[in-house]
Amino acid sequence: MTDAQRFRELFYQALRIRLVEERIIALYPSDVIQSPVHLSIGQEAVAVGACQELEKTDLIFCTYRSHAFYLAKGGNLKEMFAELYGKVTGCARGKAGSMHLTAPEVGLMGSSAVVASTIPHAVGAALAAKHLGKDQVVMAVFGDGATEEGVYHESLNFAVLHRLPVLFLCENNGLAVHSSQSARQRYAILEHARSYGLSAQHIADGYDLENVADTISGLVRRVRQIREPVFVEIRTYRYKEHVGPGEDFHCGYRQREEWWSWKQRDPLEQHPDLRDMMQPSIIKEIDEAVEFARASPFPPEEELLRDVV
Amino acid sequence: MMSSNVAVIPSLNAPDITTYGSRDEGQVISYRDALLWTMREALRKHDSVMIVGQGVDDHKGIFGSTVGLVQEFGADRVMDTPLAEEGMTGVAIGAALNGLYPIQTHIRADFSLLAMNQIINLAAKYKYMFGGRYDVPMLIRMIVGRSWGQGAQHSQSLQSLFAHIPGLKVVMPSSSQTILETYPAVIEAYRGPVISFEHRLMYDLQFHVDASWIGTTRDPFGSRLVRQGKDATIVATSIMVLEAMRAAGHLEKVAGIQCEVIDLHCVSHPDWDLVMHSVEKTGRLVVADTSWREYGVCAEVCRVVAERNPGCLQKPVVTLGMQPAPCPTAKCLEDLFYPDLRKFVDALATLVIGNPGHGVSLPDTQSMADVYKRFKGPF
Repeated sequence: MTDAQRFRELFYQALRIRLVEERIIALYPSDVIQSPVHLSIGQEAVAVGACQELEKTDLIFCTYRSHAFYLAKGGNLKEMFAELYGKVTGCARGKAGSMHLTAPEVGLMGSSAVVASTIPHAVGAALAAKHLGKDQVVMAVFGDGATEEGVYHESLNFAVLHRLPVLFLCENNGLAVHSSQSARQRYAILEHARSYGLSAQHIADGYDLENVADTISGLVRRVRQIREPVFVEIRTYRYKEHVGPGEDFHCGYRQREEWWSWKQRDPLEQHPDLRDMMQPSIIKEIDEAVEFARASPFPPEEELLRDVV
Repeated sequence: MMSSNVAVIPSLNAPDITTYGSRDEGQVISYRDALLWTMREALRKHDSVMIVGQGVDDHKGIFGSTVGLVQEFGADRVMDTPLAEEGMTGVAIGAALNGLYPIQTHIRADFSLLAMNQIINLAAKYKYMFGGRYDVPMLIRMIVGRSWGQGAQHSQSLQSLFAHIPGLKVVMPSSSQTILETYPAVIEAYRGPVISFEHRLMYDLQFHVDASWIGTTRDPFGSRLVRQGKDATIVATSIMVLEAMRAAGHLEKVAGIQCEVIDLHCVSHPDWDLVMHSVEKTGRLVVADTSWREYGVCAEVCRVVAERNPGCLQKPVVTLGMQPAPCPTAKCLEDLFYPDLRKFVDALATLVIGNPGHGVSLPDTQSMADVYKRFKGPF
């Protein structure tokens, strides 16, 4: 694959995620999606880059902001929209909604709405991979806020202690809900991670599609080869409010100028020709997925108490 | 800090399986050895089993229940852990999702409170929240540390916290037999998270076991009718089953009163038909739990009876449990904190005969812990 082809492939995947979320925004006022959505718009390059080198058998554990990772890892778009619509054809039979997307058939494990809570799951899955001789790489995806939780420390420590094949991926958008990182942290994430003996890399520009993909792909290959944990922090930016489809620059906790400076580098804004070319087929795919969701049945009553124990 | 009341745990040899495969009615095994045997068998039979917990590989081996296993199966399968309850529970969940069967230990049930997020928000919900697409097969062993002077943070009996949460199965083995009936079957065939409350006071007790159940498909979660009687029903958990049996034995001997005793066993999913059938027969109900009565097993049994058939009760229900306070350390207060056999018998006699002046002779006042230092089963 030439560099140009590779860029187009990455661009296509990122654009597909953006257009899916833009459709969610368009649909949201109609109230067909009756649960909270945490949009990844602005952060697509991280998810796309993170998943390039992962096989379907590699496992990834995400957060409530996981539309992008679900799609980048290969989750089914129809099942995603059906899940958002609360339909029984959804990826979790309508019991998960946006915050708990999952696609075990492609290795996207359960997403959790409790910050940092899936990080030890990735470590445990890596422990099982080691113990059972599986050639898997396991990825823990979390934000900068998660590094403040105690279980984050517990997970890093255990993974290094037992040399487990985990890639810790910190998707740093600088915000925990509405609180800035500087108001929350007195440590440097990378330096702190290195203090465990972790090899840790920083990607300053999370909007550079190719560099993000190349760097993380290299780290995935490295984990697969050396079977030891590795850490990467990617700086990125969230366009939308913490939860919901809107913008919130008027609320005062961040400035529109900050967004503007990121938007200047937004790869999906830089190539209108590519966008125009790819958009029709993606829109058609989204139309079909939305129609699938709309036409699907809601869960029947017996679903209420199914799969409890 | 935890301090063991047992100065030296003798080195235990895990009994050979053939011993238990026989139909020897005279077989006697301690609660501790039953635990050790099930742990060893789980490791021996299932490559996927891993025991993880603080000190599982040390010379004391979780009060003797894992001792020697690291030498036999290696540190990869009998794994000492950092002091990280939430993290390690999360690790166990992740391991379960990727093919292992983790057995996690909390040498005090109190320490599991540090792992509540993982147990309640994740393990209990993983199957349901993701549309039934995952199983989280794991066993979490929690030891109720009650013995002598363990105080407020080393002795709690927290079953109702977990039994309250849909998605968890909570068992309370009351004998060597129930351990042998429950753990191997759960590890072999049940695919969800199970929390087991073991009782420290029973570790040293010897129990007769009936080995004929081996290889059968008896429901590991079923409640058990352990004594038949017509005058009153005692629904009990864990070590209170033993107290119920002692109380029932005393009353039969001195007053001819016949109590029926039900070991609730799986407090999250009891056999309510068994309970109702008994209460409808006797018309009198005593609930004896190891924990606080408020919002717990005592309250839950009363809820179900009240909902299903309150008219079957000839008398108000009697509940026995801990006093509504944190557990005090001073022995004189601790003895008041837990119900003793004298109170148990008095409550039963009052209930059956109908007035506090029942005239039934009561057993000597003696705290339960004192008794269980010497107590030998069976029941």
